[in-house]
Amino acid sequence: MSQVHPCHTHTDRDQLHLYMALIRTCAVARGWTIPLLRSERSVSRFVLACMALGFIALIGSAGTAGWFVMKAQDHATWVEHTYEVERRISTLRVLIERLEVARRGYLLSHRQQTKDTFLTTVKDEVPLVSDLRRLTADNPVQQQNLDRFQALAVQHFQLLSRSLVLADKAPELAAAIFTHDQSLGVTRDLRAVTAAMLEEENRLLEQRIAAQREAVNILFYVLAFAGALAVATAIFSILVLRRYTGSLVASREEVLQLADELEDRVEERTRDLSRANEEIQRFAYIVSHDLRSPLVNVMGFTGELEAATKPLAALVDKVEAEAPQLLDQDAAAAAREDLPESIGFIRTSTQKMDRLINAILRLSREGKRVLTPERIDLGQLADAVVASLQHRLDELGAVVTVQRPMPSVVADRLAVEQMLSNLVENAVKYPKPGVPGRIAISAAGDRGRVDIAVADNGRGIDPRDHERIFDLFRRSGQQDQPGEGIGLAHVRALAYRLGGFISCKSALGEGATFTLSLPAQPTTQG
Amino acid sequence: MNAHQPVTIVMIEDDEGHARLIEKNIRRAGISNDIKHFTDGTSALAHLYEAPDGPALNGPALILLDLNLPDMSGTDILQKIKAEGNPLRRTPVIVLTTTDDKVEIQRCYDLGANVYITKPVDYENFATAIRQLGLFLAVIQVPDIEPEG
Repeated sequence: MSQVHPCHTHTDRDQLHLYMALIRTCAVARGWTIPLLRSERSVSRFVLACMALGFIALIGSAGTAGWFVMKAQDHATWVEHTYEVERRISTLRVLIERLEVARRGYLLSHRQQTKDTFLTTVKDEVPLVSDLRRLTADNPVQQQNLDRFQALAVQHFQLLSRSLVLADKAPELAAAIFTHDQSLGVTRDLRAVTAAMLEEENRLLEQRIAAQREAVNILFYVLAFAGALAVATAIFSILVLRRYTGSLVASREEVLQLADELEDRVEERTRDLSRANEEIQRFAYIVSHDLRSPLVNVMGFTGELEAATKPLAALVDKVEAEAPQLLDQDAAAAAREDLPESIGFIRTSTQKMDRLINAILRLSREGKRVLTPERIDLGQLADAVVASLQHRLDELGAVVTVQRPMPSVVADRLAVEQMLSNLVENAVKYPKPGVPGRIAISAAGDRGRVDIAVADNGRGIDPRDHERIFDLFRRSGQQDQPGEGIGLAHVRALAYRLGGFISCKSALGEGATFTLSLPAQPTTQG
Repeated sequence: MNAHQPVTIVMIEDDEGHARLIEKNIRRAGISNDIKHFTDGTSALAHLYEAPDGPALNGPALILLDLNLPDMSGTDILQKIKAEGNPLRRTPVIVLTTTDDKVEIQRCYDLGANVYITKPVDYENFATAIRQLGLFLAVIQVPDIEPEG
């Protein structure tokens, strides 16, 4: 039916409206608005920033801790250094005492072994001093002390060696000098210098240990802070993740629910549409059925009238022959011309009305027919259609060629046959005057659709009428052929039912090509 | 009861015009049998089964049945008449309607209609059909009504 077309386009638009309304309803029902969505986005950005800050702080504190560990190690090295210096100073002090002891021993015993001890001890002293000088190069106080120590050590050595030389020459004198020797004062000074050096080192040691302790303390605080930060970041991350996962699950459920609702609505809508379609079919059937009933009366009683005019006309003839003076001209005209003319018009009109009603009835019946899709070889089908029309083609001198190869299509055979037959009939019906009809049927498959084209060399169709010709009871061009404008309407109705469409390409005087596009496999609609 | 009793024509037709046309053409075809006309199913059924001069109680009949009735469908009446064990089961029924739907015609024959006539708009054909109906009426052998029980 031609009603199928508006229904079809309305479906898509209605569906779109339906989706939009649904989305709007859901948004309102859940308190969503566009600004809220935007703020939600900014909240998530804030959370992300917080987490990034947490992790940066964590990395920062780890770096700080590392730095403090290095610093503590540094302090430890310095403390060790101080111990080293102290050890050497102590050794130095021992050496000085040993020198003193060796000299005294030699003065008393004159043993060569004691003298040797003295000499090796002096030798040992030199590298120790240079070591100390190197180790305390950064400390001017110790350098000064060392300067003094060296001066004293030289003096001490000279005094001691002089006393040893003297002891070899005059032992009594040496022993006597020993008691008032300056060396005792020098030794005392040496002791004092080394004690000062030790004291200095001790001071440094204390300082360094304190620094080290402080560094360790700071390290501890930093580590504690970093630990707390790590825990906080972890908790925050877990919370955010949990919230995020929760909202993800919730929105997934919502989407699923929405999809369900949408499916229900679509199903409901489809039911409504098919119900409406059935209603239209029923309506068309009832209307055409019931319209025929009064038409039977009009036709029947017209027949009665016609029958009644015969005796009337006979009576007029008789009166004219036998008693012309009684004959009224008007009555004669009525009986002989007016009545038969009126009856003739009534008859042709009712006949036409009957044909139209029958067409509607046929279309509505066709719409009710259950389609049974099957695989159709279009080449075979086209041949069959041409063969069934051969008689008429021969009458008109038209030739139809079927261009091969042709694809196959899965559709209702009767419907496709009917459409192709109507298209070919239409193509041969309106030839260009004096030009024998040449019609070509071709078909091509492309991306799940099959296009069947029927091209003719006829008189063509004004582009203004390309839509109109598919409407029921509408025709185009010169009305010199019998017909009610049903064939192409039927083709379009069937095409829509099969999930396809029909289009026309033509210009006046240049033939016409009708293309029927069908899905290669039937769509869901029955 | 016997076959010589005149056959009553029971016409069930809601359209007065159609009824008049049918009657006219029956008469024109030279059939003078009594015609009883009902415009709805209920009164027609009442006559068929309960009227003292109705076919169930008295005499053979021929039923002309229109399928589109205001109170019930003609097929309901047909089904009732042709049901197993019904006293009117052998009464000939001629279905007269505007429909030429194959499915509906098939259904009427399945239910036991004897003749199905499409009411054509073409007057000549219609008259011919009625005349044939007259011939049919002339030749039918109305069977004996089976004793009740």
